[in-house]
Amino acid sequence: MSVVNQRREDPRLDRLLEFVVQLAAGDLAARLETSPRADSVDAVVMGLNMLAEELQVLYCGLEQHVAERTACLEQAQAQLRHQALSDALTGLANRTLLGDRMGQALARTERGARAPTLLALDLDGFKLINDSLGHAGGDTVLVEVARRLLAVARETDTVARLGGDEFAILVVDADPDDALAIADRALEGLRRPVQVGEQMTWAAASIGVCFGSRGQSADSLLRDADTAMYAAKRRGRNSIQIFGPAMHTVALARLQTAEELHYALMDDQLILHYQPFVDLATGGIVGVEALVRWLHPQRGLVSPIEFIPIAEETGLIIELGQWVALDAIRQLGQWQEKVPLPESFRMHVNVSPVQFRSDNLVPFIRHALQQHGVPASSLILEITETGLMTDEADIVQTLWDLRSEGVGLAIDDFGTGYSSISYLHRLPVGAVKIDQSLVAGIDTDPQEHRLVAAIVQLIDAVNLTSIAEGVETATQAAQLRALGCAYGQGHHFSGPVPADEMTELLHANLGRPGNQQPNRIKR
Amino acid sequence: MTVSLDPGGFVRLWWAPGVKITGDLAREAVVAVEQICAGRRRPMLVDMVATGELTRAARVVFAQKSAASAIALLGKSAVDRVIANFALGVSPVPVPTRFFTSESVATAWLRDVGREPEA
Repeated sequence: MSVVNQRREDPRLDRLLEFVVQLAAGDLAARLETSPRADSVDAVVMGLNMLAEELQVLYCGLEQHVAERTACLEQAQAQLRHQALSDALTGLANRTLLGDRMGQALARTERGARAPTLLALDLDGFKLINDSLGHAGGDTVLVEVARRLLAVARETDTVARLGGDEFAILVVDADPDDALAIADRALEGLRRPVQVGEQMTWAAASIGVCFGSRGQSADSLLRDADTAMYAAKRRGRNSIQIFGPAMHTVALARLQTAEELHYALMDDQLILHYQPFVDLATGGIVGVEALVRWLHPQRGLVSPIEFIPIAEETGLIIELGQWVALDAIRQLGQWQEKVPLPESFRMHVNVSPVQFRSDNLVPFIRHALQQHGVPASSLILEITETGLMTDEADIVQTLWDLRSEGVGLAIDDFGTGYSSISYLHRLPVGAVKIDQSLVAGIDTDPQEHRLVAAIVQLIDAVNLTSIAEGVETATQAAQLRALGCAYGQGHHFSGPVPADEMTELLHANLGRPGNQQPNRIKR
Repeated sequence: MTVSLDPGGFVRLWWAPGVKITGDLAREAVVAVEQICAGRRRPMLVDMVATGELTRAARVVFAQKSAASAIALLGKSAVDRVIANFALGVSPVPVPTRFFTSESVATAWLRDVGREPEA
């Protein structure tokens, strides 16, 4: 029987055709009843019914799977967006998001809204926290700082961590007084101690404030707030500094100085001057301190007060310090060869804490001494009291390593920090230099006199040698001598002089009685 | 639906003609088979001649492990064949399963492959 004939005779085929059309149109819920005949046509109907059901289930499963995967992808995308715009440790906004928010706030300013204010915060002494409590402890402090900053900011402000111990708060729709109030609250909030495990620490901050203005870019807002923050740090930390245009000029000048200093190191613009130490009992020169000077081709002699802090900030201090140490050792070798120096003669070289922290200070000094045939015992490295106050394990270890090499060590500017003599006694130092600020009033202020007397006695009591800095007058020298201070240094004896002048002074010193006394710096 | 233990040692599951085998009905059948097997695995003859419909949910139930050690599906019509092959192909059964149109051939096959070795 032909299909046409069969179709004519069997109405189920028409229903089957309609059913197939329905399925093809996507109606997978459609079903067709089989007949009691259970023949091939019914078998086809049954097969189609079952296939349709199977497809329906598969489609539902597929749709559910796609919906789940889409939700997962959307969640992952949201997470990535969050990660890209937030700080992983604290959950605060990151630099990118802050930049974006600053851009938006400044754009609103163009449309008449109030200009935003940016507070740039940098923790004071965070390195010390990291070094003493470990990085996990440091992280705990950063998280707590973030929490406190969020607590002082308003809902509409953006609190961000820019990296390390740098934070920022973008204050929008607020007048300058409101923004400053937030800065005050932040400073106050960070004054409270932070609990890290069993220990307490403090995370005070320096805050720079920049009031934005129409037409300003986000970059310049951040730069100016940063500039103010660094000014706050220089002013004594734990304080707030508002940005002023003059600061930018100063910052640019500092940047230029840093750049020029870099060239100065390569271009022989640096020279050493030498200031003698005198035995207060005999008046004989027992040593000199090497002091770096910068002969700038345009500006003339640049004060070390101006360029040493910049060198420390920029990391150039390592290179500069090495140059100073090497040139001083070279000069000492030359003097030892050409001038019959007493055995007690010592070269003092200032070393920055940054250098003490570096791994290569000890090998560098060893190599420099060998290169110029100078005995290690002729060299005394000075570290400031404030540099030692960090009590960093790295610095203390370097001190012991230098001591093992035979190099002498002295504490510089004693009295400017808060360290105790007993603490210094535990370190491998041989001498303590009493800061000139204490010495200055010794002949006019009885209280200063008593203070210096007590310090000299304490230094002597722990078997260290006292050296008075900034001795300006004969009276001061006499009083220090009477107090038992071993050595003195200052303009009363001689200011810092170039090497050739120092050579003459050393020659003149040769005939002085008592110049063959052993150096009294202990080791 | 009737479940009985054949004197030949296999379980006989009989579906009434025209019945729509749903998931619930399939589960009832599985429970009944397990009861009659009493912890022993036995070959099973499923008489599905003129079964009305076998739903997907029911096929899913049959695809799970049961007390049957082998299953012979017995049908007659082309419709039975289609239903049986869906059961076999789309949701694979975890024991040897075949479709037969002759009961004697089916029981002979069950004897060959379905008996669980005596302990």
